[in-house]
Amino acid sequence: MRDSFASVRSVNATGSALKGRLSKAITAVLFAITALLFVTSSLAGDPGPVIPKGQGDECVADTAFMRRNHMDLMVHQRDDTVLEGIRGAAFSLSECVDCHAQKDEQGKAIRVDDKGQFCQSCHSYAAVKIDCFSCHAAVPDSSDNTAGLRPLPNKDSVTAGHSAEPDASPVAGLGHSLADQIKGHLQTDAQ
Amino acid sequence: MPSNSDHFNSGQARRRFLKQLGLLGTAAVTSSYTLLEVRKANAAASPAVTNTKRWGLLIATDKCSSGCDDCVRGCNEEHGLTSSGRDEIDAQWIRKIDLQDKLSGRKSSLPVMCQHCESAPCVDVCPTGASFKRADGVVLVNSHTCIGCRYCMMACPYKARSFIHETLTNQLAVAPRGKGTVESCTLCVHRIDAEEDQQPACAVACSDAGHGAILFGDLNDAGSEISQKIAAQGATQIRSDLELNTGVRYTGI
Amino acid sequence: MSTIDTNRYNTLKPASTSYWLTLAVLLVLVALGGYSAFNMEHAGHQISGMNNQIVWGLPHVFAITLIVAASGALNGASMSSVFGLKRCKPFARLSVVLAMTLLVGGLIVLVLDLGRPDRLVVAMTHFNFKSIFSWNIILYNGFIAIGIVYLWVMMEPRLNRYTAKVGAFAFLWRFILTTGTGSIFGFLVGRNALDSALLAPLFIALALSIGTAAQVFIFSATARWQNSDLPESMVFAQGRLLLWFVLAVLYFAVVHHVTNLYLAEHQVVERYALAGPMSPVFWVGFVLIGTIAPIVLLFRGGSENKRCRNLIFASAVTILGGMALIYTIVIGAQSTPQRLFPDKTVIASRFGDAGFELYQPTAWELGLGIGGVAMAVLMCLILLRVLPFTPEPESVAS
Repeated sequence: MRDSFASVRSVNATGSALKGRLSKAITAVLFAITALLFVTSSLAGDPGPVIPKGQGDECVADTAFMRRNHMDLMVHQRDDTVLEGIRGAAFSLSECVDCHAQKDEQGKAIRVDDKGQFCQSCHSYAAVKIDCFSCHAAVPDSSDNTAGLRPLPNKDSVTAGHSAEPDASPVAGLGHSLADQIKGHLQTDAQ
Repeated sequence: MPSNSDHFNSGQARRRFLKQLGLLGTAAVTSSYTLLEVRKANAAASPAVTNTKRWGLLIATDKCSSGCDDCVRGCNEEHGLTSSGRDEIDAQWIRKIDLQDKLSGRKSSLPVMCQHCESAPCVDVCPTGASFKRADGVVLVNSHTCIGCRYCMMACPYKARSFIHETLTNQLAVAPRGKGTVESCTLCVHRIDAEEDQQPACAVACSDAGHGAILFGDLNDAGSEISQKIAAQGATQIRSDLELNTGVRYTGI
Repeated sequence: MSTIDTNRYNTLKPASTSYWLTLAVLLVLVALGGYSAFNMEHAGHQISGMNNQIVWGLPHVFAITLIVAASGALNGASMSSVFGLKRCKPFARLSVVLAMTLLVGGLIVLVLDLGRPDRLVVAMTHFNFKSIFSWNIILYNGFIAIGIVYLWVMMEPRLNRYTAKVGAFAFLWRFILTTGTGSIFGFLVGRNALDSALLAPLFIALALSIGTAAQVFIFSATARWQNSDLPESMVFAQGRLLLWFVLAVLYFAVVHHVTNLYLAEHQVVERYALAGPMSPVFWVGFVLIGTIAPIVLLFRGGSENKRCRNLIFASAVTILGGMALIYTIVIGAQSTPQRLFPDKTVIASRFGDAGFELYQPTAWELGLGIGGVAMAVLMCLILLRVLPFTPEPESVAS
């Protein structure tokens, strides 16, 4: 009994020496692969992300600073704005979009999180998924992108003329019953 | 007697400690540098809101007619609230309700939106604190921390909150909103914070249309139009029995 | 020395194929649940039957049933650790494992039904201590931690002397936890159907009844898979417990409704609850199937086999009835419009102020809910094969 245990132990002893050499070899190979990965990407001439240029001469801060800190700035800024109502600060997300959004051939603004655009090109390169534009507007506010949305109604719009084309208004989908009521009232209460 | 290897080890440990200390110091300096930069750049920003003002609305329901929804349209267009095609999942920051008195049969109509309560139940129940009350009395949802649990919707006595049930793509810059979070009337903080004498979109839409039913102002200022009107005519809260001390008051109900 | 547990436990080595069959079915259900969750997260809640009126739907009913059952399932361990009933000792570990897995299953459903489940980290790091929901998050996590410690002191003979203390702490914790779960609804000032302190003890009674029913399933299943039966005394004792707990639930439900009927301001809500379009869920689901049926089944005598079968049937209908009650509490309360103007009738409104809203769940919600239940049971059955939680038939019989 004891002898067989001893023989098992001795096999294990040589086995562990073998294992030591094997693990050293595996580590060396892994290092080599990792090193190659770092080198080959630059060897292949990877240009990095191509970021379209924004409007104006310069950003609110220099590029290196922005590259490194824009996430912290945004996180800090958003709490200031939302929780304390501080507005007009330099690092405003909507102002980033205003400057950095590109326009297509028709002059329509392209979303900054579309492929190849300002935010997305760097973020897809760095493989960091951003969530901002699931809520925030990815194009500057202008009459172009608010297709279908009208300015605030004034006195003139509350007339029969307005109600005659309810479907043109994007808010026609809202308030089926109320829209009908309005139409009814406006037709009966003719001035 | 310490051997050579012991010396070597303690030296290694000392070097490691100094390296870590250096890294920690660099990190601290860098992060404070960032904050200093932020503060420098933000010097032109507006100051934080305080509780000196308490924003509120006074709604004269006798000026509201059953067919009119100018305030609703104004709010929808200001914030880019479009319809999904299904009434029951559409955003409703403000809605019109037509009522009939049980005893007298008298009909009335009024808009209902977030009442911006002082003791808001939605603020009490929010697990992450995303539903909060600003210093100036406006009750808001911090969409960054909202997890979409909808407990505030269960808690609100006025049914003021909506949940966003679908992916949105055409948001306006003044009204960021996205799928999976809860939203409600913001008293147009993006307007009233920006400059003095700005009004919420519903009040503007109503006055532009010539009805003048919605009055916005500072409830803490005894000289403001809203305070004077409330002092003169009196005003009621919806569900005043709940003692929530709402910022939105009504006359004529 | 006398506190050392002399019962023998082992990992579950099922002697029949029904175990593997059950595992396979559960895996399919979990996969369907995962698919439902993926779709709901991707497309948004528009594909579900939930809307701005019915904000909490079927997934919440399932989740609350699971969480409430988890608290009650721990009772099996409390029986021996806290109440000193030695004959229940062999099943203590099983109870704790069941309790923990049921809770995790319920939490999975709850988290996957969030509008932003990706923000779970935010929920774990931002706490609002005025919110009972926030407290519940702390209580749920603590429950799992306490469960782990409880199992540890039970399984390590050198720590057996701490079982009573840990058991007492666990008992207290789950009481607070279930009170907290009930208070999520009881604290809602804006809803007439829910604004009641009675909901907390109602949930405690529900926890005990559904939890005991869940225990019966796991105890008899493990016994069956080891080719043995539950002892007669066990069947009798569980049956009596279940009976009393079902009666306790009935008591609180009756008091709740009778009080509401008495109060003028709750008349509308009560009329809807007891005579409205959703009232069959209450009368048939809770009263008939969930209360009368188990009482009848549990009072019946008969041979040992018959009693065992009756107990299992009674457990099944108790769980169904408990779910029906939770359905009426959660969804019934949301179907009734909130009455902003008590002395007026609402003629028109676009936000559901006027009439009652009927909830129409879709397959996605059902899938998510059932997937959660399946996940809980699956985790439990797998854990039983990993660690020695199952009592050996000899220990059970003695």
